Amino acid sequence: MKNELFMRIKASLVNESFIRSSIASFVAYLNPSVETIQEIKTAVSEAITNCIVHAYPNHDDYIDIDVSIEKGLMLIKIKDYGIGIENINKAREPFYSTKTKEERSGMGFTLMETFMDSLVVRSQLNVGTEVVMEKHIVGV
Amino acid sequence: MSITIINYDSNKIIAKFSGEIDESNADYVRCQLDELIDSHNNLNIILDFSNLDFLDSTGIGILLGRYKKSKNKNINIIIKNPSKHVDSILNTCGIYTIMQKIG
Repeated sequence: MKNELFMRIKASLVNESFIRSSIASFVAYLNPSVETIQEIKTAVSEAITNCIVHAYPNHDDYIDIDVSIEKGLMLIKIKDYGIGIENINKAREPFYSTKTKEERSGMGFTLMETFMDSLVVRSQLNVGTEVVMEKHIVGV
Repeated sequence: MSITIINYDSNKIIAKFSGEIDESNADYVRCQLDELIDSHNNLNIILDFSNLDFLDSTGIGILLGRYKKSKNKNINIIIKNPSKHVDSILNTCGIYTIMQKIG
C-alpha cells in the first residue's frame, strides 16, 4: 500500500512545530526509532524555516507538503511559491547564508543532507522552490 | 519553550532550557541570553539542555551569535547534557570546536 498525506498550510512561524510534528507522527505506524523521528523533524523544520525566512521574506504565503510512504521509503516534498534560490550549489554549502546580517548558521541544507538519505533541491527565481527528501524507515 | 536562570555563584550562571528551540521562539532565546551576557564579565554560562527536546539550525545561529558576543568579555558558554539528537546536531555544526560540553 502506498500511503499519502497532502497538506497546504500558511508559511507562518506559528505552524513550524505543528508541521514537523504532524509529518513525524504520520510515519509512526511503521514504528521508527526515536532517533529516526527526531531526524525527520529536524530535516522538515529546516525546509519549513527556509520557506518562512527566505522564500517569503515580506509576507506569508502557502507551503504545499506531499508525503508518501511505500515499502518503508518515506518521500517528503516541500514546495513554496516564493522568490527562489539564485545559486543552489552555493546555498547547499555548509555555513553559507544570504542573510549575513542576521544570525543564520547556514547549516539548513547540510542538516537535511545529514539526516535524510537523499536531498534534491529544485528552484526557479520568482517561481518557487521544491525540496524533495527521502528516508528509509527501519522499524524497531 | 522556557528558560530558567539559576544564579549558581558569582562566576557561574545556569540557564535551564525546556521545550523546543526553532525560528518561532528564536528572538526570545536570543534576548534571554543577551541579558546575561550584556550584564556580566568573567562568567561561565552553563546551558543545561537536559530537557531541550528539539533544536535546528536556527538554534545553531543563536549559539554562534552568542559566542561572538561573549568571547571579548571573558564569558565561557558551556553546553550541559544534550540529548543524543541535539548532541549530533551540535557536533555536525561544529559547536564543540568553540564551546565545551559537560555532563
